[in-house]
Amino acid sequence: MEIEMKNVTREFQGIRAVDRVNLVMTNGVYGLLGVNGAGKTTLMRMLCTLIRPSSGTITCSGRDIFEMDGAYRKLLGYLPQDFGFYPDFTVQDYLMYIASIKGIRPAVAKKRVSELLRRVGLTQAKNKKMKKLSGGMKRRAGIAQAMLNDPKILILDEPTAGLDPNERIRFRNLISELSSERLVLLSTHIVADIEYIANEVLLMKDGQIVRRGTQEQLLSSVPVRAWSFAAGRDEIAGWQKRYPVSNIKTFPNGVKIRVLSEQAPHPDAIEEAVTLEDVFLYWFGEKAGEHYDVL
Amino acid sequence: MTYYEIKKVFVRRGSKTALLMMLAVIAAVLYFVISENGYVNENGEEEKGAAAIAKVRELKKEWAGDLTEEKIRRVIEENVRISHTPEALSEDFDQNDIAYSKKQGFMDIRNLLVYSYGSFNDYDYYLPDSLSPDAAGDFYSNRLKNLKEWLDTDAEDQFSEEEKEYLIQTYEALETPLYYDYQAGWKSLFRYAPSILMIVTLLLSFLCAGIFSGEFQQRSGAVFYSSRYGRGKAVAAKIKAGLIIITMVYWGVILLYTGLVLGILGADGANCLIQSDAAGWKSIYNITNWQEYLLVVLGGYLGCVFMLLLTMWVSAKTNSAVTAVIVPFVLIFLPSFLSGTGIPFLNKILGLLPDQLLQMNQVVKYFNLYGIGGRMVKAAPVLLIAYAGFSLLLIPLIYRTYRKKEVY
Repeated sequence: MEIEMKNVTREFQGIRAVDRVNLVMTNGVYGLLGVNGAGKTTLMRMLCTLIRPSSGTITCSGRDIFEMDGAYRKLLGYLPQDFGFYPDFTVQDYLMYIASIKGIRPAVAKKRVSELLRRVGLTQAKNKKMKKLSGGMKRRAGIAQAMLNDPKILILDEPTAGLDPNERIRFRNLISELSSERLVLLSTHIVADIEYIANEVLLMKDGQIVRRGTQEQLLSSVPVRAWSFAAGRDEIAGWQKRYPVSNIKTFPNGVKIRVLSEQAPHPDAIEEAVTLEDVFLYWFGEKAGEHYDVL
Repeated sequence: MTYYEIKKVFVRRGSKTALLMMLAVIAAVLYFVISENGYVNENGEEEKGAAAIAKVRELKKEWAGDLTEEKIRRVIEENVRISHTPEALSEDFDQNDIAYSKKQGFMDIRNLLVYSYGSFNDYDYYLPDSLSPDAAGDFYSNRLKNLKEWLDTDAEDQFSEEEKEYLIQTYEALETPLYYDYQAGWKSLFRYAPSILMIVTLLLSFLCAGIFSGEFQQRSGAVFYSSRYGRGKAVAAKIKAGLIIITMVYWGVILLYTGLVLGILGADGANCLIQSDAAGWKSIYNITNWQEYLLVVLGGYLGCVFMLLLTMWVSAKTNSAVTAVIVPFVLIFLPSFLSGTGIPFLNKILGLLPDQLLQMNQVVKYFNLYGIGGRMVKAAPVLLIAYAGFSLLLIPLIYRTYRKKEVY
């Protein structure tokens, strides 16, 4: 199984959401990291045949995915960022319906739905209406529908967006469990989502894949080091002007600032290991994710 | 797939409410039907309900049979006799009602006399009261004579010579004597059929408008289209679900309505030609009540299917149920604003709009003719064939429109 994107571009009214992307992916977990608006969703939607590229080709084991049509989508599982559902359906009905449009025979679908409900922890809620589920439960129903056909290609667009930290950890573990022997592409703007599970990270900015590699490769790709030191609260603005600040921790008598710099920015600065958060900050010029992930 | 598509529609509370509203409409129509089929007793008092309907039926059944010259003569004589009784001549309405009670049995035939012996476009309720029994022999010939006079005078510019000739031929082709029977059930059925058909079409538009746009409004399109059958069988399942819902609800409502009306008023007169009742006297369609019923319900079904397929196509095209639901409203109500202009060409066009399929009981009364391939064809077959074709064309159009959608 090999997905190849060649010079893939998608324009919306003259604006390039995805710009000449060349990418080859085989089995494994790929973390697609980028700020909001980087083009991650557009890229994923093209991979799901939801939109066509303005130019370029996407192939699956050498065949154009749009020409493969249903044969390609048979291999696909997709959890969109904006996961919509049928509010008046029960979880069971919802999954049975999705199973039917995925071409799974009812008898097989029933077993598969039952098994997936157990795996995502929704067995007790199977007769609940979708609209009555909590955000985390909806996401779990979402991953269950994506897994119904045991996809060879699993595409997850911001799967943890809007979840509380506990749900997020639980969800990450679930994805990790489900990711063996398939190609998983997981997009996020939260570094922690992919830090532990991605074999390879793709950094996307302004519609382009600006960097790709293993976490180790990316960590070593930044020509800066991470430094941490104590400072007064009134100095924060000054440090922020001079260096990319990846963290500020408040104490009763001041703050502890973490910055990226080639040289020690302060005589008392202590060098720390560069993290994927720092890489994100370096390449994108802004902090990744939501506040409680970095503070 | 189709099962779940249907379920998606009916799990919505709005859909259940719409169906309950339909039942309420049928109940209201039944109330009107019972109210207007009362019996006036020998004291001039009106009675209503099942017993009253049975009494009227019994009285009218006495006059059932061929409308021969002899029978027409008897009706004229009896009508004139009653019309000259003190009760009929009284200034007191209650006394008039007593006189009316004696006419109830032959009232339908008396109404035919109004049309036969009056001029083509006039209506004089009291005309039969002054008829001579010797005029009975003119009962059928008057029908043709009135038409010819009208075509030579008021309607002179409305029809071509070929059309006039065709109209005369259809009048001449009517088999006489007409067979008369009590037929209140069919007449009430036809009278309210357009209202029922329009309401069921509008109701169905609420149910079907969201079948396609729902995936976009609920943002479920991304999962739908990324599924194996998302651009094939699943789209076909939506169309199939729409057609099943239309068929189930339409025939459910129609059969319930038919069963209740005919159950209350009786199904007598199914084989009477529609010209045997005043409402169909002038019609150029030489068909029975049963055939008119088939025309009404099959035409209605076709009109309903066409309008709702169009609704579904707009829903698929625009991703908006609100825009889609406007379609049947426009198709049903806009023509009524344009009608009555007296412009023959415009009337011909209006006669071919899909709203006509929902009121076939009116279509059989209109003189809309169309020259096709050198032959004159009445509106009903043109409507049935044309809209069956349009409906068949809409199905692949919906499929193609929806399967090519992109989800941004």
